[in-house]
Amino acid sequence: MSKKKEINRRDFIRTISLTGAGIYLAGCSRPALETLPTPVANAKTATSEVTNTQTEATQSNDASPLYGDVYLSVVHGENPAEMTRRAIAAIGGIERFVPNGANVIVKPNICTDYYPYEYGATTNPEVVAAIVQLCNGAGAKRVRVMDNPFGGTALNAYKRSGIEDAVIAAGGEMEVMNNNKFRKNAIPDGFDIKEWIFYQDILDADVVINVPIAKDHGTTRLTLGCKNMMGTILNRGQIHANIYQRIADLTSRVKPALTVVDGIRTLMRGGPTGGNLDDVKMSNTIIASADFVAADSQAATLFELTAADIGYIPAAAAMGLGTMELESIKVEEFSV
Amino acid sequence: MSAATVRKLRQISQMLFFALFMYLFVQAVYLGASPLESDLFYRLDPLIAATAMIAGRTLIAGLLYALINLAAALIFGRVWCGWVCPMGSLLDWISPKKAKRGEGIPDRWRMVKLLLFAGLIFAAVLGNQTAVIADPISILTRSMTTAIWPALRKMVFGLEGFLYQFDFLWPVLDWIHANALLPLFQGIESVFISGIPIFIVFALIIGLNWLAERFWCRYLCPLGGMLGIFSRGAILRREVSDACTDCGLCARNCPTGTIDKRAGYASDPTECIYCYDCAADCPVSAISFPAHSPLRWAEKQPYDPNRRDVLRTAAGAVAGVSLLGIETITRREPERMIRPPGATLTDFTTLCMRCGECVRVCPTQGLQPSLLEGGIQNLFTPRLVPRLGQCSFTCSACIEVCPTGAIPPITIEEKQRTPIGLASIDQDRCLAWGYDTICSVCEEICPLAEKAIRQEEREVTDLNGNTFTIKLPYVLRELCIGCGACEYHCPAGGEAAIQIKTLPSTEVVIRGI
Repeated sequence: MSKKKEINRRDFIRTISLTGAGIYLAGCSRPALETLPTPVANAKTATSEVTNTQTEATQSNDASPLYGDVYLSVVHGENPAEMTRRAIAAIGGIERFVPNGANVIVKPNICTDYYPYEYGATTNPEVVAAIVQLCNGAGAKRVRVMDNPFGGTALNAYKRSGIEDAVIAAGGEMEVMNNNKFRKNAIPDGFDIKEWIFYQDILDADVVINVPIAKDHGTTRLTLGCKNMMGTILNRGQIHANIYQRIADLTSRVKPALTVVDGIRTLMRGGPTGGNLDDVKMSNTIIASADFVAADSQAATLFELTAADIGYIPAAAAMGLGTMELESIKVEEFSV
Repeated sequence: MSAATVRKLRQISQMLFFALFMYLFVQAVYLGASPLESDLFYRLDPLIAATAMIAGRTLIAGLLYALINLAAALIFGRVWCGWVCPMGSLLDWISPKKAKRGEGIPDRWRMVKLLLFAGLIFAAVLGNQTAVIADPISILTRSMTTAIWPALRKMVFGLEGFLYQFDFLWPVLDWIHANALLPLFQGIESVFISGIPIFIVFALIIGLNWLAERFWCRYLCPLGGMLGIFSRGAILRREVSDACTDCGLCARNCPTGTIDKRAGYASDPTECIYCYDCAADCPVSAISFPAHSPLRWAEKQPYDPNRRDVLRTAAGAVAGVSLLGIETITRREPERMIRPPGATLTDFTTLCMRCGECVRVCPTQGLQPSLLEGGIQNLFTPRLVPRLGQCSFTCSACIEVCPTGAIPPITIEEKQRTPIGLASIDQDRCLAWGYDTICSVCEEICPLAEKAIRQEEREVTDLNGNTFTIKLPYVLRELCIGCGACEYHCPAGGEAAIQIKTLPSTEVVIRGI
């Protein structure tokens, strides 16, 4: 028998699989996410094309008070869960928003893991839990709660905010946003940005419930419902270049079905991160509406500001995403 | 108990201790979640205990566990190397199918590990711990932290990313992600500046197995050298009885090559790792490990260092430490050598034993083992690179794990008030200052309640003659703690337009010799 070294099956398989694994690994490495347009000072805004917008807005303004007669509710009181339930009941009840078997995503503001919720930087856990319970009661198939904190890790922020414990007790799930589920999506109605990288599950969900906390913000004066949609995307730094219009553009894609503004502990200064209890005012208010523009406009009044002061509210209103004319809608305000 | 059973037990012990090492490694990031200290292997490491306490001129209670290891060496010799050390086990497992006996390598090389150990002690006396990076636990932890585990994570997440293209798999993938991958790897995509150089060193150490089996343990390992010296007087020592038929099997199979055919198959307790391979393989059961008097030391070997060798090593240590004294860091702190929180409160470089535990637990992976940023003398000491990860405001992980107190045990409240650096804005590159663009990310992100970054308003006019107001950020030196959240989040491309630099008040520490 010849002594010539022949390649045997084992060597062959080993070589092939190693090569294959190498090629495969090289191939499956995720391409770097594209960098989005460099910010410029004179970026396009809805207000710069105001004539065009207003026509569109009047044509497609399906946010006009079609449902029932209460367009927005404002509830004062001491019990956040009860206030939340009553606020939603006043605008038609959870069933109006959450059909049986719906896949629901609740998006609170869990911006950092710096401080617990008493500091007014993250949404009140009782409010979030009450919404989760309502959704479950309405027969939702799945209720997930998530945010993409910018300070600290999501796991820590979920715990520290108290939201994780409250949500799990209420029968919901906390999801740590997974980088693999961010995808580039078109923003058909966007003025300045025509596409962005969104969390796909949020766009695909049957119902998105927006649960911002109303608080001071260094850049935009206040962060409210529209601004809360910043937690659904990647490359947030790039939004700041033309922040008001870009926030409005983002909301035009996510379009939460229901917005519940937590105005219980309002951070009056030092936002969005907070850290000083002296800056927190007990405003004890919950605002609910299907129209996030209206909800934000109402919430601005908690800070003795008007919608026009908060750049992204007029921008969103100009796009026909809702109304900032609080006089033209029916507001039900009560205490519990 | 038969010798074959003992060998089996040794193999099981190696697997269990390696599994324990990996378990501690993974759970280290869940501070205090496990009853076992994540630095358990360091605590059992007498080399690190000795150098840290000598160089730091302090008694570190946590490291006194290492006395257990020394006591074990006085009874069982280098049982640590054969039965426990996860690095040694890896070297056993990753080796050529037909083990190399290292016949071409002179026996005198065995002296290297002993002299390396002596050199480390001399350097520690001079207050220097630079060469402690050669400790095996430290090598394995560092390689695992910065290269092997992150590469594994890349591999797994790469596969996951590929599968996530198929939407119908999402429910399953979500479950795996939440229940297996997140707990194991966390959500961070860690990157390490020094990862690949560290891996190359690790791969070389493994690669030496192709010259001689357990090359590292035979010739180089300073911990092995230290334990070897204590094994001189080990109670249980290997002996060959008259039943020996001179078959030579034991000498051929010995992983450390210490069984000498010419000396009647006797071995040196300094080299023997109690693996029991010889005893288990011996066809006539001529090998046993009977008790000896610890006072009767093992015979001297030709490769043992003599007094002159030791003196030369001492001189080498003095020369080496002096040479490090010409590095520029002894005159000026580099502006980007940001240490972990509180490290400015201690004599960091003499206390730090380069163990890499802080790097392992840093949840943002902003702590990186330095390469040459702080000079050779600071090789692999931790350095915060805020552009890769900020010092998280509510986190004190590194403080909790530091085994020597180089990162002092301050409370989270103290940490939140202790500056580690100071932010400075590059106004030419700042979007607001340089490009009249609304940005404010740094101000927004600043975790301090009082905001160490504030903004002044200014009217600007663009090319079209439109006038608008922008906010220009500035740093309040009195408040900024240098956590680097602003630098991490700065949307300027490439290097941030706001950077953390060394504290302006940092005094130059004149280090001895």
